[in-house]
Amino acid sequence: MGETGTILVEVFFQTISYWWVIIPTIFLGLIVGGVPGFSAANTIIILMPLTLAMDLETGLIFMVSLYCAARMGAGIPAILVNIPGTAGAAATPLDGYPMTKQGRGQQALAMTFVASSLGGLLTTVIALATMPVLARVGFYMHSVEMIVVMLFGISLIASIAAQDMVKGLIAGFLGLMIGSIGTDVVYATPRATFGFLELYDGIPLIPALVGLFAVSEAFVIIEKRLIITDDARKAMATPSWHATFEGASIALKRWWHIAWTSVIGLIIGVIPGAGASIASFVAYQQSRSFSKTPEAYGTGHPEGLIAPESANNGVTSGTLVPLLVLGIPGGATAAIMLVVMQFHGVSFGPSLFENNPKVGYGMFMAMAVSYLFMMFTILPLSRYMSRVTTVPTIYLAPMIISFTLVGAFVPREYMFDMYLALAFGVLGYVARRTGYHVAAILIGVILGPLLERYFLWSLKKSDGDIMVLFSSTLGNVLWVCLALSIVLPIWFETRRKRREIVIQ
Amino acid sequence: MRPDYDKSPRPIGGELVIPIVAVAFTLYFFSSIWNSPWTAQVSGFLVGGILLLVCGIFFVRCISQLMSGRASLGFGTLFSIQDITSGRVGLLITTVGYCLLIDRLGFTLTTFLFLSLSMLILSHGKRPGLIIAISAAMSLGGWAVFIWAFETRFPSGWFETTMKAVLANG
Amino acid sequence: MTKGQPINRRNFLRTGTAVSGIALAAPTLLRASSYPDRNINVVIPTREGGGADRNFRAFTSIWKEKLGTDFEPGFFPGASGRVGYEIYMGKNEPDAYNLIFGNMGPEVLNWAMQEPSFDIDDYLYFGRVDTDPGALFVGAESPLQTLDDVIAEGKKRRLNVGTSRMAHPASIGLLSLGEATGADFNLIPLSGGKNTVAGAVTGEVDFSVLTSGSVIAAGDSVKTLLVFGENRVGEALDNAPDINDAFDLDLPEMLSSRAFGIHQKAVDDYPDRFEVLTRTFKETFEDERLLTAYVEGRGTPEYLNYGGIEECAEFKAAMLELGARFKPLLTGA
Repeated sequence: MGETGTILVEVFFQTISYWWVIIPTIFLGLIVGGVPGFSAANTIIILMPLTLAMDLETGLIFMVSLYCAARMGAGIPAILVNIPGTAGAAATPLDGYPMTKQGRGQQALAMTFVASSLGGLLTTVIALATMPVLARVGFYMHSVEMIVVMLFGISLIASIAAQDMVKGLIAGFLGLMIGSIGTDVVYATPRATFGFLELYDGIPLIPALVGLFAVSEAFVIIEKRLIITDDARKAMATPSWHATFEGASIALKRWWHIAWTSVIGLIIGVIPGAGASIASFVAYQQSRSFSKTPEAYGTGHPEGLIAPESANNGVTSGTLVPLLVLGIPGGATAAIMLVVMQFHGVSFGPSLFENNPKVGYGMFMAMAVSYLFMMFTILPLSRYMSRVTTVPTIYLAPMIISFTLVGAFVPREYMFDMYLALAFGVLGYVARRTGYHVAAILIGVILGPLLERYFLWSLKKSDGDIMVLFSSTLGNVLWVCLALSIVLPIWFETRRKRREIVIQ
Repeated sequence: MRPDYDKSPRPIGGELVIPIVAVAFTLYFFSSIWNSPWTAQVSGFLVGGILLLVCGIFFVRCISQLMSGRASLGFGTLFSIQDITSGRVGLLITTVGYCLLIDRLGFTLTTFLFLSLSMLILSHGKRPGLIIAISAAMSLGGWAVFIWAFETRFPSGWFETTMKAVLANG
Repeated sequence: MTKGQPINRRNFLRTGTAVSGIALAAPTLLRASSYPDRNINVVIPTREGGGADRNFRAFTSIWKEKLGTDFEPGFFPGASGRVGYEIYMGKNEPDAYNLIFGNMGPEVLNWAMQEPSFDIDDYLYFGRVDTDPGALFVGAESPLQTLDDVIAEGKKRRLNVGTSRMAHPASIGLLSLGEATGADFNLIPLSGGKNTVAGAVTGEVDFSVLTSGSVIAAGDSVKTLLVFGENRVGEALDNAPDINDAFDLDLPEMLSSRAFGIHQKAVDDYPDRFEVLTRTFKETFEDERLLTAYVEGRGTPEYLNYGGIEECAEFKAAMLELGARFKPLLTGA
C-alpha cells in the first residue's frame, strides 16, 4: 500500500505538470462536446494521427481530459437552447432548459459545472480506491439484471406522464415503437425500416435527439422575442457574477445529492456496454422518486439538473475501470483509448497494474486533475455563455435549426440523417403543440432499443423461457427495488396529502 | 378534471394527430414483422399491442367528449393564422429547402442562404445588413469548423471546391 | 443569380482544378491512357478507426506508390456493410476510380442470409489483402479452461456462446464444431467484437467466438482454445490448435478476409485500367516494405495473404455455399 501511495503522489505531481496539455484540451472538449454530433470519441479518431504522434503519457492525458470536458460541454447547449449534444445529455434539458427560460441560465450552468466536476472528481477517487471491487460489477450485471436497470429509466415515462396518463403513455410507447425500428439483434431481420438501409441499425440517436428537442423548439420559440421571459430579461440586463455564485452554492448545498447520483453513474459506467444515457435517466428517475417535491421536476428544479449531470460524469470514470482492470472497453471512447495504448505497446487487462502501474493510476489521476482544473476554468465562463439567451429568437431559431441539422449529419455523415432530424422535428412540434411530452417519446427512442437488446439476449440464452427474467438473485433484488421506487413515492405523496388535509 | 364546462368546446383535432400516426405506424410495423422469426416479433407485438390499447382508450375518451359537446374537432391548437404571420410556415419552407438544396449547392452557400432567408422572413425584412453579416459569419465559421478543420463529408458546392483549390495552393 | 451560377461554378471548378495541377480538362481519350490521373475513392463499409481502417492505411501506404496516386477512404458503416455496398458504392461511377474495401467473410455471408438489392455479381473482388481465421476463446476467469472442458460441458448442457453476429464465419465454425463433437451450443449475437469479448470475460456467455485479430487485441483478458483454421501466430493465440487437427476434420478455414472490390462494369468498360490496378496490387505484395508498414500499423503481418481474382471468386463462392447450408440455423427461419 505504501508503494502504491508513493506512486500515486508521484503520478499526481507529474500529471499537474502537464497543465499545458490539459487546459487547452478542456476548451477543445467543451467545444466538441457542445456541438451536437461531435463527441470525444469521434474527435479522438479525427485527431488520431496527432494522438499517436504524442508520447504515451501526453496522449493519455489528452484523451482523458478531452473525454471529461466533452461530457461536460454537452450540457451547455442542452441547458441554454435545449440541444443535447449527445445521448448522455438527453436528460439535462428536462430541468435545465426551463431554468434558462426563467432567466436562470447562468445559475443552471454554474450548477452543472459544479455538479459535473464534483461528481466526476468524487467518482474518480472512489474508482481509484475500489477498482478491483468495482471491476467485478460487470461480472454480476448481466442481461437479466440490465433489463431491470433499463426499466428504472423507462419508468420515468410514467412519472413524466403524470398529468395526463393516457397521452403520456401514448408518447412513451410511440417512442418505444420508433426505437424498435431496425434489425432485431439476434437474427438481423429488418423491421419497419420503410426500405431504408440507413435504418437497419436502428434510429440514429443524434438526429432523434436534436429533432425532437431542438428543431421542434426552434419552431415554437419564434412566437416570443426572446426565449427567456420578460422579467428574466430585465434581471439579466445587469449581468453580474452573483448568479454564478448563487448557482454554485445551490449545487454545493446539495453535495449529498451530487454524491449519490454520481455513484449511480459510476456503477452503470462500470458495466461494459451500458452508458451515459442510461445512467442519466436512471439518476433522474431515482432523484425524482426520493424527492420531497417530485412535482417540481421538469419545471426547472435544481436537483433535476444536478442528478443527470453528476451521473453522466460518474460514467466517465466508471468506463475506465473495466478498461484498465479487465482490458474490456466500456464505451466508444474507451475503445479508442485501448487502440492508442496498444499502439504504444501497453496491453490492458489483469497484468496492467503489475507491468505498468503508472499508466493505470496515471489515467485516473489525469481524470481527477482534469476535473479539478475544469472547476476553476469553466465556472467563470457561465456568465458569458448564458448571454446566448438574450439573442432575439428571430436570429436564434434559424441558427439552432442549421446547427442541429448539421449536427445530425456529423456522426454517420449520411444526408439521410438530416432528413430524419427534420422529420423528428415535425413530430416533436406536433407533439408539443398538442400536449404530448417530447421527453417521453425520447426516453422510448433512446432506452427502448437497449431494453430490447438485453431482453432478446436473455430470451435467446434461455431458449425463450420468459421466467429467465426472475432467474437471478441480484436481478430479483433489483426487481424489488424497482417496485419500491415506483410505489413508495406514491405512498409518500398520499400520506403527505392526507396530513395537509388534517392540518387544514 | 377541469371544471370549465361553461367555456366553448375544446378543439381536440390536433391532439388526435399523434395517436393516429401511432396507430398507422404500429400497423405498418406489424405488417413488416408478420412473417419474421420470433426474435423480431416479440417486442414489436408487446409494445405495439399496448400502444394500440392506449390509443384506443384515448379515442374512446375523445368520442365521449365530442358526444357530450365538451370538445370539438378543431385544429386550433395545431394550426392558426398566427403560424403564417409569425413566419413559422416560412421557416418550415426554408428548412425543407435547406435539406433539399444542400446536396446541390454545397454546405456553406446553402447554410448562408438558409440563415439569411429565414431571418429575413422572421424579422419581416428588418435590418437586412445585420442579417446578411450574421449569416455570412455563421456559414463561414461552419465551413471552417466542419469542412476545413474536421474534414467532415458535407456536400460540396462551388464554395468548398474553390476553397479547397485555394488552400491546396497555399 | 441562379441563372448565371452554373457557368460561374464551372469556371471556378476549372480554374481551381487547373491551378491545383489536376488535368480535369484533358480529353477523355487522353485520360484513359494515363490512368490514374486523380485520387481513387475507396468505400469502406465499416466504422472509422477499426481494423479495416488500420489495414487499409498500411496497405495503401505502399500501393499508392506503385500506382502513383493517392487513395481517399470514405467510411460508410451500417446494415452489416450493406449501406456501403448498396447506397454508396452503387451510386459511384463504375470508372475504376471507385473501389470498395470489403470483408469477403461476414459481408458476403450476409448476402446469403438476406438477398441484397443489387446483383452479387455487380462487384468483383480482385485483390485479397489478408485472411484472418475465427477463434474460440474463454474469459481469463472462466471455469472452462481447456477445449476438453468446453466439449464435455457442452455435452451436459446447452452452452451459450457469444459471437459478434449470427452471419459470421466464426459462428459457422462453432456450429461445425458442434456438429463434429455432439456438443450443444446456443449462439448469442452480442453485436460487435467489443461486446463479444466483454461477454466472455464477464460471464454473460460461457465463451465466445470471434475473428482472431480481435481476440489477439483483447490481450491476456481472454484465453484462446481453438482456431477455425491454421494458427499462424502461435503464442499470440495461446498456441491454440487448428480445429481440423484437433478433431481430425476437413473443414474449410472460417476466415474474415479483407479485399478490394470494383464494379464489374468498370472491369468490362476499362480493361486497361483494371489491368493497372491488378498489376500494381500484386507488386505491392512483392514489396518488403509492406511488412514493415503492417507491423507499424499494429496489424498482424502473419495474416497478409495475397489473392487475385480467382482466389477471391473461390472464397466468395465458398462463403455463399456455407451461408446457404447454415442459413436455417443463422436466420431462425
